[in-house]
Amino acid sequence: MDAQPEGVAMSVTAKESALEALALAHKAGLGKAVQEFPGDVIAAAQAAAHTRSALPTASHPAAEPWPPMRMRTTS
Amino acid sequence: MTEAHWLTASEIGSAYAARRLSPVELVQALLKRISALDPQLNAFIRVDSEAALNAARDAEKEIVAGRARGPLHGVPVGIKDIIDIAGLPTTCHSKILLDNVAAEDAAVISRLRAAGAILLGKLSLHEFATGGPSFDLPFPPARNPWNVAHHPGGSSSGSGAALAAGLVPLALGTDTGGSIRNPAAACGIVGLKPTYGLVSRRGVFPLAFTLDHIGPMTRCVGDAALLLDAIAGHDARDPGSAAVSCSRFGADLERGARGLRIGFVRHFHETDTSADPEVAAALGGVSRVFTQEGAEVRTITLPPLRELAAVQRLIMQAESWAIHASWLRERPGDYAQATRHKLMIGAFHSAADYVHAQQHRLQMIAAVDDAFRDVDVLLTANAMDPACRIDDEDALARTYPRQARSPFNLTGHPAIGLMCGLSNTGLPLSAQLVGRTHDEVTLLRAAAAYERASEWHTRRPPL
Repeated sequence: MDAQPEGVAMSVTAKESALEALALAHKAGLGKAVQEFPGDVIAAAQAAAHTRSALPTASHPAAEPWPPMRMRTTS
Repeated sequence: MTEAHWLTASEIGSAYAARRLSPVELVQALLKRISALDPQLNAFIRVDSEAALNAARDAEKEIVAGRARGPLHGVPVGIKDIIDIAGLPTTCHSKILLDNVAAEDAAVISRLRAAGAILLGKLSLHEFATGGPSFDLPFPPARNPWNVAHHPGGSSSGSGAALAAGLVPLALGTDTGGSIRNPAAACGIVGLKPTYGLVSRRGVFPLAFTLDHIGPMTRCVGDAALLLDAIAGHDARDPGSAAVSCSRFGADLERGARGLRIGFVRHFHETDTSADPEVAAALGGVSRVFTQEGAEVRTITLPPLRELAAVQRLIMQAESWAIHASWLRERPGDYAQATRHKLMIGAFHSAADYVHAQQHRLQMIAAVDDAFRDVDVLLTANAMDPACRIDDEDALARTYPRQARSPFNLTGHPAIGLMCGLSNTGLPLSAQLVGRTHDEVTLLRAAAAYERASEWHTRRPPL
């Protein structure tokens, strides 16, 4: 298995991140994708980090999330 | 008389009533046009000719016998192939679901049948309403009728292409991060994402449960109102369905813009993102048209576009991963590369990330609701660029996130994309109007007022 996307020179940090992403993917049951499409797996991990980095600063941890729990009515 | 394939739904209804056109004649004309043009456009995954002609014969008999059911009786509709029609495969444009024959109609299909609409076939999309224009799938990607080398937008690509090319007068699309309004922008048509929960999601393959919307795609605002009249309404079998009474959504189409208060969200395309100059100029033109028509236009500030988009994205990534995890584990090679990449992103978010995003969401809904204390409708960018070439992966990656649509999937407010210009390369430009929750009547009023004053909706691609 080649964890490094073809033709891309990776720094030590990037290599560590890539290996971490592949390990996380394995834990998530994506072993087959790790074997067959390691570049896609690493790109997905990078995209996830990019999304999180763009989130607003943390909200209050006790704030109600959306949507609130609602009970069904029986009428 | 306008050629049959360019008639709007309301014009079709008038032509039927005056016996100038029959449903069979119209369906035959559209089937002929589809045969001629669709090999270049790939808008359809499946044309259901026989069923459409049978439905047209039935409609014709009923209309002639004086039993017309309403404005959509005998009017053909194209259906995005993520929406179930009983007895037909719902492929979601994917190898994964090639043999997925629907057992029953989606709620919107039942409603269309009750209204007498004719189902013309299943329209292409981005795989599972995400991914992108992919060339490694069982069906080719739809092309833009304004220039077939260009992307028609997505994910409701076939719906946009079919409308712009005059292959159907009406279509249904779905919208989780802008998938109705993006093809509306690229193809120069009208795309309406209604308020979350107004249209039932039952029988529509989900992409992200809390962001998914089903809505009308048309060539004019009046038709969007008619189609919404037919498909909206409470559905006890959709847990997200809103228990609201539905008025006639086109009730105020003729009222004009005088007295409306329009909030122009300039920072989305001026500072948060820098829109293509032609798009920015066209949006300024929309603002001026509203002012000339008697509306009051003022600048409004919402949370930063980057933050709104990121919260929407995280929720979409988490929910779509939950839906596709099993297939991604077992059959990753059966997805297109672009889809596989997008659907795996959610595997790298934590449960806390998802909950935090939903906490931010509540604040963002409140922020948009607050803006509506001072205005009736928001004006924003739709796409920040004209459609790029369909085979230019770098341009697709660059332009696809440059949009202001996904914030309103996050907040659930109704939003409509409509044409507001043509680029110097002959490609459509589009604006977005956003309404208060469950105030589609005012949103459509504003859109119709702009449409009447601008007449961009009368432009046709050079096919």
